[in-house]
Amino acid sequence: MSTLEIWADVYRQYWRINVLTALEYRANFLVWFGFTFIYHATALAALWIMLREFPVMNGWTFPEMAFLYSLWMLAHALNNTLFLTIGDVPEHVRDGEIDRLFIRPLNPLFQILTTPQQIFPDELVLALVLFILATIWANPIIDVWFVIFIPLIVIGGALIDFSINLIIATCAFWFVKVDALRWVAFQLEQEFTRYPISIYTKGVRLVLTFLLPYAFMNYYPATFFLDKSEAALHLAPQIGLFSPLVGVLTFILAYAFWRVGLNRYESVGH
Amino acid sequence: MEVFTNVGSLVLRIYLMRMVWLALYAQNAAPQGIALHQILTYTVIALLMSLILEVDGTRMIRDRLRDGSIATDMMKPISPALFFFSDGAGQTALHTLLILPSLGFALLMVHIDVPSPVAMGAFVLSFAIGYVLNFLLNFCMNCAAFWTMETFAIQLIVRWCSDLLSGQIIPLLFFPGILQKIVLMLPFAAIYSTPLLIYIGRITPAQYEDALLAQVAWLVVFGVLSLIIWRAAQRRLVVQGG
Repeated sequence: MSTLEIWADVYRQYWRINVLTALEYRANFLVWFGFTFIYHATALAALWIMLREFPVMNGWTFPEMAFLYSLWMLAHALNNTLFLTIGDVPEHVRDGEIDRLFIRPLNPLFQILTTPQQIFPDELVLALVLFILATIWANPIIDVWFVIFIPLIVIGGALIDFSINLIIATCAFWFVKVDALRWVAFQLEQEFTRYPISIYTKGVRLVLTFLLPYAFMNYYPATFFLDKSEAALHLAPQIGLFSPLVGVLTFILAYAFWRVGLNRYESVGH
Repeated sequence: MEVFTNVGSLVLRIYLMRMVWLALYAQNAAPQGIALHQILTYTVIALLMSLILEVDGTRMIRDRLRDGSIATDMMKPISPALFFFSDGAGQTALHTLLILPSLGFALLMVHIDVPSPVAMGAFVLSFAIGYVLNFLLNFCMNCAAFWTMETFAIQLIVRWCSDLLSGQIIPLLFFPGILQKIVLMLPFAAIYSTPLLIYIGRITPAQYEDALLAQVAWLVVFGVLSLIIWRAAQRRLVVQGG
């Protein structure tokens, strides 16, 4: 078998186990689905209540904010479906479990991403439903560019989300405990992306564009497709179409850093 | 380290909410007679309160059910419920210490109104009632572990709903029409909304009595409920393993 065939086979087996596990523990699956649903529902409800009392936020109406949220949610859900296990790396470094990856003849990162969990693409389906509703509601210009670029932007957004998580996970090779770092990134990604970044001070806008480019998951693409003028850094709205490129670049950077981390790694010892 | 994370995350959230309210107030008329300085005060005090209220003092019930040590707790010549309460109060005291550095950082970012001594007194009293009520609510939920063993996801769901419905994120006065009437009648309002509205002066001294009585009523309801659940749970107790 060629390397590619081996990877494809491992990946297929991985998803088979995931789905079978989810089907086996049905009550558990339902409870966690409820958990996902309520998390996004309360976030949207809070936005709705705010924007009922105040009709606009920096020129954004509620349907437009829902579109902004749904674009983030699609990328975030895609990341959660494909790359969630990267978050376990710091724990594996701490308990020494990670050593196991190095004695198997398969790419360590690929091994981490194919560690069976109880992952089911339910959040992704939920995100898709919200995206369709928000698109109907917010009424962006739907043309051939929209159809081509939205999937690419979502993949790019998921790569941005994943790459930053990968960089933080890699830091565990030096610092062992990276919880604080993770929390800050988590908050910037989950809460700061709910609003157009033009409401923040200059420094935070720059951070969200260049350092932790979460704004490319939703703010810049949404600005372009909703035909709004870009008010955060006064860039051309077309910047939103660069999300896939930003995703690939951050991934290359993150992967290079990961390799450095692997080479430097010394086991905590057993 | 955990302290660092807690305070850091709080500072980020204060920054976020400050920018959100600034943007909303800059382009719209102040609604419901709540001025910008009031809403900023409300938000910061709510976040400081959450440092204390988000401590789940009765988590221990769940852990002790898991490993079975609840059986020996029941045999000790002290009331287990009181034991859990004092353990929770101890954790709360620890988290209260976090308020000082957090308040320091908050004051660097926003101006916080200081209410009159009377309002401050009423706020402290109302917050104390809210604290006990919150404790009882957590207690009831953790006691569910006597029946189902797995309560974590359910508890998170209730937590998120109550964050929204208690007025921790957005004042309940901003909820539209009938929805506002409903949320004001739920017990969650007695945890955050009542003390906060007293603090910013939306509940006037003339209304203190009604507001505090409503809180006490909820306290009695959940006190009785907790007793009933605790009795039933003791009878129900099946210890796993030997």
